[in-house]
Amino acid sequence: MGTENPARPTFPSRPAVTPFSSTGPVAGSEPPSYRPTPAAPPPAATPFSSAGPAAARPGFRPAPPARFNDPSVAPPPRASTPGGPYQQFPAAPFPPTTQQQRGPIMGQASQAPPFPTSLPAQPQMPFVPMGSPPPQSAAPPHLGSNAPPPTFQPTFPGYPNKPPGAEMQPPPMHSNFPPNQGNYGPVPPAAPSPFMSHQGGYAPAPPMAPPVGMQPPASVPPMGAVQALAEDFNALTMQTRPGTMDPLFDPKELPRPLEGDVEPKILVDMYPMNCSPRYLRLTTSAVPSSQSLASRWHLPLGAVVCPLAEPPDGEEVPIVNFAPASVVRCRRCRTYVNPYMTFTEAGRKFRCNVCTLLNDVPSEYYAQLDASGKRVDINQRPELTKGTVEFVAPAEYMVRAPMPPVYFFLIDVSISAVRSGMIEVVANTIKSCLDELPGFPRTQIGFATFDSTIHFYNMKSSLTQPQMLVVSDLDDIFIPLPDDLLVNLSESRSVVETFLDSLPTMFQDNVNLESAFGPALKSAFMVMSQLGGKLLIFQNSLPSLGVGRLRLRGDDSRVYGTDKEHGLRLPEDPFYKQMAAEFSKYQISTNVYAFSDKYTDIASLGTLAKYTAGQVYYYPAFQSAIHGEKLRHELRRDLTRETAWEAVMRIRCAKGVRFTTYHGNFMLRSTDLLALPAVDCDKAFAMQLSLEETLLTTQTMYFQVALLYTASCGERRIRVHTMAVPVVTELADIYRLADTGAIVSLLSRLAIEKSLSQKLEDARTGVQLRIVKALREYRNLYAVQHRLANRMIYPESLKFLMLYGLALCRSTALRGGYGDVPLDERCAAGHIIMTVSIKRLLKLLYPSLIRLDEYLLKASVQADDLKSIERRLPLTGESLDSRGLYIYDDGFRCIIWFGRVISPDIAKNLLGADFAAELSKTTLGEHDNEMSRRLMRVLEKLRNTDRAYYQLSHLVRQGEQPKEGFLLLGNLVEDQMGGNSGYAEWMLQISRQVQQS
Amino acid sequence: MADLFAWLISFFLLIVLLVLVTFQLMCLADLEFDYINPYDSSTRINRVVMPEFITQAVLFCFYLASRHWIMALFCIPCLLFNIRLYRRRMHLIDVTEIFNMLSWEKKHRLIKLFYLVFTLFLSVFWMIYTSLDQ
Repeated sequence: MGTENPARPTFPSRPAVTPFSSTGPVAGSEPPSYRPTPAAPPPAATPFSSAGPAAARPGFRPAPPARFNDPSVAPPPRASTPGGPYQQFPAAPFPPTTQQQRGPIMGQASQAPPFPTSLPAQPQMPFVPMGSPPPQSAAPPHLGSNAPPPTFQPTFPGYPNKPPGAEMQPPPMHSNFPPNQGNYGPVPPAAPSPFMSHQGGYAPAPPMAPPVGMQPPASVPPMGAVQALAEDFNALTMQTRPGTMDPLFDPKELPRPLEGDVEPKILVDMYPMNCSPRYLRLTTSAVPSSQSLASRWHLPLGAVVCPLAEPPDGEEVPIVNFAPASVVRCRRCRTYVNPYMTFTEAGRKFRCNVCTLLNDVPSEYYAQLDASGKRVDINQRPELTKGTVEFVAPAEYMVRAPMPPVYFFLIDVSISAVRSGMIEVVANTIKSCLDELPGFPRTQIGFATFDSTIHFYNMKSSLTQPQMLVVSDLDDIFIPLPDDLLVNLSESRSVVETFLDSLPTMFQDNVNLESAFGPALKSAFMVMSQLGGKLLIFQNSLPSLGVGRLRLRGDDSRVYGTDKEHGLRLPEDPFYKQMAAEFSKYQISTNVYAFSDKYTDIASLGTLAKYTAGQVYYYPAFQSAIHGEKLRHELRRDLTRETAWEAVMRIRCAKGVRFTTYHGNFMLRSTDLLALPAVDCDKAFAMQLSLEETLLTTQTMYFQVALLYTASCGERRIRVHTMAVPVVTELADIYRLADTGAIVSLLSRLAIEKSLSQKLEDARTGVQLRIVKALREYRNLYAVQHRLANRMIYPESLKFLMLYGLALCRSTALRGGYGDVPLDERCAAGHIIMTVSIKRLLKLLYPSLIRLDEYLLKASVQADDLKSIERRLPLTGESLDSRGLYIYDDGFRCIIWFGRVISPDIAKNLLGADFAAELSKTTLGEHDNEMSRRLMRVLEKLRNTDRAYYQLSHLVRQGEQPKEGFLLLGNLVEDQMGGNSGYAEWMLQISRQVQQS
Repeated sequence: MADLFAWLISFFLLIVLLVLVTFQLMCLADLEFDYINPYDSSTRINRVVMPEFITQAVLFCFYLASRHWIMALFCIPCLLFNIRLYRRRMHLIDVTEIFNMLSWEKKHRLIKLFYLVFTLFLSVFWMIYTSLDQ
């Protein structure tokens, strides 16, 4: 497979393994391949790469990632000789990352040389992480005593020679855990090394050529004896003081994702032609080779796709036009041409990488092959070198002429909407966005408003004033005008502007309480069904008239905890599901903006967004003075972001593997085709895959996401993301290549779906159970050889999984029961989790907490000083100092927390004259002083990092406002709160359950 | 003679039921192989669900009326299942979730089909038996 792959060399000796040679031409020196079986490798085995080689070919390797992911790290070391190749070993095995330890880790590259060659002298023992604190000393000091000298650490983490800390560990707590770590191992001949053998799965294959240009220091570890244990787990001692629940470990040492989401880098190096992880991430960057292996991976196996993710500045998705030919695809499996397709027979044929069928190259696409088997025009063909491309789709990919962008606004004008000021904000925002709506000059726009009647607006370009047409017959909806309700924006621009100017005043005296939402929805559907497009609903009260009226529910606390509980989170009236299905059929995408301070049944309204690839925005108790800014930004984003219209998406993979379930906002049109009436960069979709064949024989699995859509400019396009991943035979490799972010994203979506059919409690237990099962399986891999009683072990790649699992159980969507979160907010949070990308989700689950007062008080500030505020703190009450000013940012809102004894200077400067007033009524505005400007700059920076949502800032002063104070304190996920367990306790629970098997 | 007619009628009712269930199964299979879209599939199925339930109920009443207690007893499980579905509002296919429910929908219809075939055989047996008896 993938032999004569362009842009990379072929290895005459082992053609079949090419896909793994991610590094260009010099790769001859490192014939890396995938290890088919754990058979004993020959002595000459060369590590995949190493610090040495990396330096030798700087051009091929991006700067090695600082942390564990460095794929260049050697395969399972078979030697007790610590050679050069291992110097780069990142400090991954450190179990708990304390600040103290982290420093050196970052600097590992420079510190590598001191690695002593004395390793052979070491007792042969498996890696036992140092960080695990002695069980008794819960006090901080033990840290210092336990940790080895810093310079020693980075290179040599697992080998505490004369174990510095171990001897101090009083053994009583675990007599079966001898203090000297050397006792760990009657381990096989080869000393398992502490090196992160993340690449264990790609160890050099047996019949390999001896290392050619290997670096001298590489006293290559060819101790081929046994395939060494390639462990790279982390461990934590998990014990409690007998009879109590006090943890005997220092919670400070638990791993925390303070750097946010880290995209997996492993594959980027291994398969440089893969699409960026921005677009497609697998829960583990490997496919298990057999069903039995897959069944031992208890976490979800699948992918998270964000097909239109925003590329960073300066990087654009190349657009390829095959005209006059058609798009080049495999005849049988319909895979689009991609970098992993190989050309043969002098360029006349190409072999499909997915189904291995030999296809004819269309004559228009023919190009000769050069001596190395690459096409001569490869550099002019981005589709043969890049994992992400866009093809211009010819007419056979269209069912109808490409639609223009259509925006239809359905606005509630009942009294509550008028009072909240929503209408004014919406009208002004739409007006300010008219110039930026995508697709000029084809864009179409239309409006309807409703209270107990429905009002349409004739905006024909020949009129000077819009004409209002009222329909009051709710049982038999009709459209008063066939055309002119949806008009071309560029033609009717002035009428639209006049309308938007007058809209807020038109209804200001409206005293109508009712909401004929259902009939209005139907009429909007009639107007839009010709073209499709985007329907934006602004709803301020519970639908009360006509079809689809809803009733108050959810205020009955007795339902919680019973079998009927989940019904509250499901749409009450089948009308909404039917409408959603119809909308999806006619290419209408619905975004729901809900504003009410009372119950509005987001569960029902959200259904409209769920099946039409829409989004739910919820502003509880909307007041334009407070929430106006948030609505303005989010509506603007919604209207102006690049949108793909009438799209369908499919993900293809080779035979033997099949995507079975899909999770997100879309509707399935056939078993594997996602219908997305409108999709944009802020939407992500998750899917789970299963193995159909008991055994996969291929060594590489290819995934291809294809999104067929109409661009706003009216061009039909296909965006294709291709990714190759290895097929692995070892469970350890699956764990090693796991991607916590994708796992958490899938787990959350599964949990939210579970909460729609079962109790919240069950959904939470489900999350915990899966984590426990996964860790238990992992433990079984290692526990036998290492006697790890009372220790919790977990792979480096999943070190944050437990914390995210806890955060998920404590998220707005899943936490507590009746009293903890209002039903609407819970449902809205669930809808958010079902759509957001991985990065945003992780930030939502584990928000950043930043201390600001030092930065604000600093005398002079340089531009790069903003970096200093990026130091995130653990989300625990201990991080909060009552003299400080903190900012808590979860991507959806900011909470600015004033300590009780904060210097009055800061408070005065930031809040102005009313700094002593109650903060819940104060809004944060810029004041004329440096400090305030700096704070604004910080906020702006935080907001600019992710524009999808606007973080409205709430002000909280310590201990003053019980309700608002809870905003922050309730979200410190590591602290015990109410019935929720804290981080330490959660880890104990998990650890106990893991060991109970 | 009346008995023979009773068996004949029950035979035809069962044939109707069989046809209805088979039709639903065919729609589901077509959907799975992407021959029709979920909208058409669900409207077709939903159109015949109520007739099927009613026929089933009529059959049961008919057995009771004609005093074929054993056969009536055989009808009860299916009838109860139908009533349960109806009361939970799960009898109609939900087009939005059709693919997630596909395996369940197919399974319960298949079981129903085998069950109907079994009752049909019984019914045919009794029909022949009574006709020979006379």
